[in-house]
Amino acid sequence: MSLQVDLKLRRGDFRLTVNGRLPERGVTILFGVSGAGKSSLLKAIAGLQPCQGLIRFGDQVWQDEGGSLPAHRRPVGLMLQKPTLFPHLDVAGNLRFAARRSGADAGRWREVVALTELQPLLTRGVAGLSGGEAQRVALARALLTEPDLLLLDEPLSALDAERRQALMAVIARVAERLPVLYVTHQLDEVMTLGDQLWWLDQGGLREQGELTERLAGLHGPLAAGGQAAVVLHTRHRHYDPQHHLLELALGERVLRLPADGPRGDAPRLKVAARDVSLTLTAARDSSVLNILPARVDGLRDLGHGQCLVRLDCEGQWLLARLSTLSRDSLDLRPGSTVYAQIKAAALV
Amino acid sequence: MTVSPADWQALWVSVKLALISTTLLLMLCTPLAWWLARRRRRGQALLEALLALPLVLPPTVLGFYLLLWLGPNGPGGWVAGLWGAHSLAFTFTGLVLGSVLYSLPFVLQPLKNAFLAIDQDTLDMAATLGAPPWDRFRNVVLPLARPGYLSAAVLGFAHTLGEFGVVLMIGGSLSGETRVASVALYEHVEVGDYGQAHQLALVLVLMSLVLLWGLFRWQRRPGTLT
Repeated sequence: MSLQVDLKLRRGDFRLTVNGRLPERGVTILFGVSGAGKSSLLKAIAGLQPCQGLIRFGDQVWQDEGGSLPAHRRPVGLMLQKPTLFPHLDVAGNLRFAARRSGADAGRWREVVALTELQPLLTRGVAGLSGGEAQRVALARALLTEPDLLLLDEPLSALDAERRQALMAVIARVAERLPVLYVTHQLDEVMTLGDQLWWLDQGGLREQGELTERLAGLHGPLAAGGQAAVVLHTRHRHYDPQHHLLELALGERVLRLPADGPRGDAPRLKVAARDVSLTLTAARDSSVLNILPARVDGLRDLGHGQCLVRLDCEGQWLLARLSTLSRDSLDLRPGSTVYAQIKAAALV
Repeated sequence: MTVSPADWQALWVSVKLALISTTLLLMLCTPLAWWLARRRRRGQALLEALLALPLVLPPTVLGFYLLLWLGPNGPGGWVAGLWGAHSLAFTFTGLVLGSVLYSLPFVLQPLKNAFLAIDQDTLDMAATLGAPPWDRFRNVVLPLARPGYLSAAVLGFAHTLGEFGVVLMIGGSLSGETRVASVALYEHVEVGDYGQAHQLALVLVLMSLVLLWGLFRWQRRPGTLT
């Protein structure tokens, strides 16, 4: 079942109009600058903030002109930036609060506790939990409501890198079964978890669609913030322990990058536009490991002597940020054939 | 010398009055404090000022108005007429009404502060976890406001126990009905019986001290929420 919204939200001078649809499963990243209305949108979907318009989930109407289904009757799991646990209950009590009301059975309880690795913490009070532990409890609690839709508002922003990785893996597993709307500013979370993208900008849903495609747009959300980057979907090929190099297949081509071990069958790579440079001939004498033939698809002048070039490389998009001087001296235009030197790429 | 049976009776009237008034106040102030704490409304400042008036008003002023309202020509007299009496003044029921008004701010304020301290996000979270409004109130708000309830109960009880001016105006001093300990003490002093007065005063001091001591001990107990 999928979520469909067509709503208008007002809060003082702030106005937001959103017309969008979520896929049936997978993570949709809700992206936007601070104040774009991301949290308000989540709250409106959860029924915690009044709004006008239509919210439907599958064939259930959560809101229309006729009225609004109260928050406690919407099958939504919500998780906020701060864990918001009940301080008068211990960890198990917090989980039970959700399980009792949703009717989650013992099997489901065990499954969720195992997934979030909370067994050793069940009898602990919530005051003494670390940030990561508290967010695991919050996630488990949200899952025990047996939600049909998960709304996550920067759930990992207060955690360190290692904890983030662990919880991202849990969220990715949950998203295999249900739709997740996920607010974040963190590029690694966007690229690791995201399947779809909703970009809130200037009071509306400016773009929605497949994440990889949206990020690679010359006018995409990251390009707007000066941090243009793309996701490359690769396949595992070989790991060379001697040089600590991971070989990945990108179409017919091979990418090599430093890693301490293999990273699954289909690793995603984040490539920032500033880490890609272009040459007209394939350099044989470069220290750069990854040089790929590509075709220029489009160009955009960013101002300040900078430009963004979109490249078709083995059927996937790459972005490169160059000076306009380089663009002119290489005479780059749509259709030009070039070699992209990828100076750095990160596994996400 | 010991406390006389008549004084014990006065003490019992005081305690009974305090228990009943506090119970009524907790019931009355729970919705009122919740309503005041959750949202700012037009005219709320004026209402809160009215409700806090007993804090600053001389008790005799409040007692004077109550005397008029509870008397045969006031609304209290009309209510009393429902069961054949002609006035609520100088009755125990009248005393309870007076105490409830007089001690209201002492119960209302701690409850309101306790409710204000509860984060809206916590309540929103309870809603998305499937708890309807009454369930949220019963299982989230009440447990989190427990320290506020304790303060409110102790303050309301102790304040009613110590009430004098209002009681004097509307209660009179009918033994076993409206003669409370503080009035009994005043009467001892008036007739120069300082020995009896000492006894009664000491009992009142000890009772109040024990109550407050219990409250502060409980509030400092590790692991409780304040």
